[in-house]
Amino acid sequence: MHHILVTGASRGLGLSMVEHLLDQGNIVLGCSRGKSPFSHKNYHHFEADVSNEEQVNDLFIKIRKSFKYIDVLINNAGVARMNAFALTPFKNMRETIDVNYAGTFMCCQKAISLLRKSTNPRIINMSTVAVPMNLEGEAAYAASKSAVESLTRVLAKELSSFSITCNAIGPSPIATDLIRGVGEEKIARLVKQQAIPKMAQPEDVLNLIDFFVKPESHMITGQIIYLGGIS
Amino acid sequence: MTHNEIQSLVFAALELTNQSREDDAQVPIASDTPLFGKQGHLDSMGLVGLLIDIEDMLQDQDIHISLSDERAMSAANSPFKNVSTLVAHIDTLLKGE
Repeated sequence: MHHILVTGASRGLGLSMVEHLLDQGNIVLGCSRGKSPFSHKNYHHFEADVSNEEQVNDLFIKIRKSFKYIDVLINNAGVARMNAFALTPFKNMRETIDVNYAGTFMCCQKAISLLRKSTNPRIINMSTVAVPMNLEGEAAYAASKSAVESLTRVLAKELSSFSITCNAIGPSPIATDLIRGVGEEKIARLVKQQAIPKMAQPEDVLNLIDFFVKPESHMITGQIIYLGGIS
Repeated sequence: MTHNEIQSLVFAALELTNQSREDDAQVPIASDTPLFGKQGHLDSMGLVGLLIDIEDMLQDQDIHISLSDERAMSAANSPFKNVSTLVAHIDTLLKGE
């Protein structure tokens, strides 16, 4: 049984992660900007915006007080706004970077002292196939996730002395809220470019989480694993 | 917190650091012990570990401050040069809290 913190836990992929990790008997701590519609005896929800430094500080103070340590941090909170580069408002770009990169950065930083108390500490970040595919219309999103990938590799080195592994998952298109605004035709075209030309399912991401979390994966760090055969 | 209380806390954190170090790499528990930089006993990750332990101990007393400092890597002005500069650094941060 682990203490696992999932950011962006109230819907979509984050909620699937929460349910999956609870099914395994873990104590799951989730956070999102609002309340969660979900309840379970081993689920504890916190309201926090990961792009807000003060709220992230408060979140980790509360977790420390109630749970003492965490074994796994899953930085799932993210925003995606598809738009042509020439038409992307600066404000949207800034918000994308703030949530996807700065939020991940701050949560990783604040989690170190709680993770150090675990015997099997893990950080799992979320990237996307939009990074290696350099997708049109995703300049801000892909750049923010590219920064997450760099962060993942650097943390793998810096945190290895604390036995904390840091890896990232790059999902190919999955039908979640995040891609609701993307046209079906565009998604179909994307999926066709994959070695495995199929839409991914949340279970494909959950499988990778299980892989990174298991104790036998202690030698795996700094890795970005993409779904669908993208490289 | 008084100066002596801060120093005791830093000493306690150093004892924790020593628990995970080999016998021949123990950090002397004294106010003039060089920590980081020239003749320092800690490398950068050793320093990070020590600072995290100190922040943790302060949080146990409901004190939430960050010990990180832009001057950390500058040998001349680093507040992490030795135990007494670290104690002074924490003292300053607590007074400004």
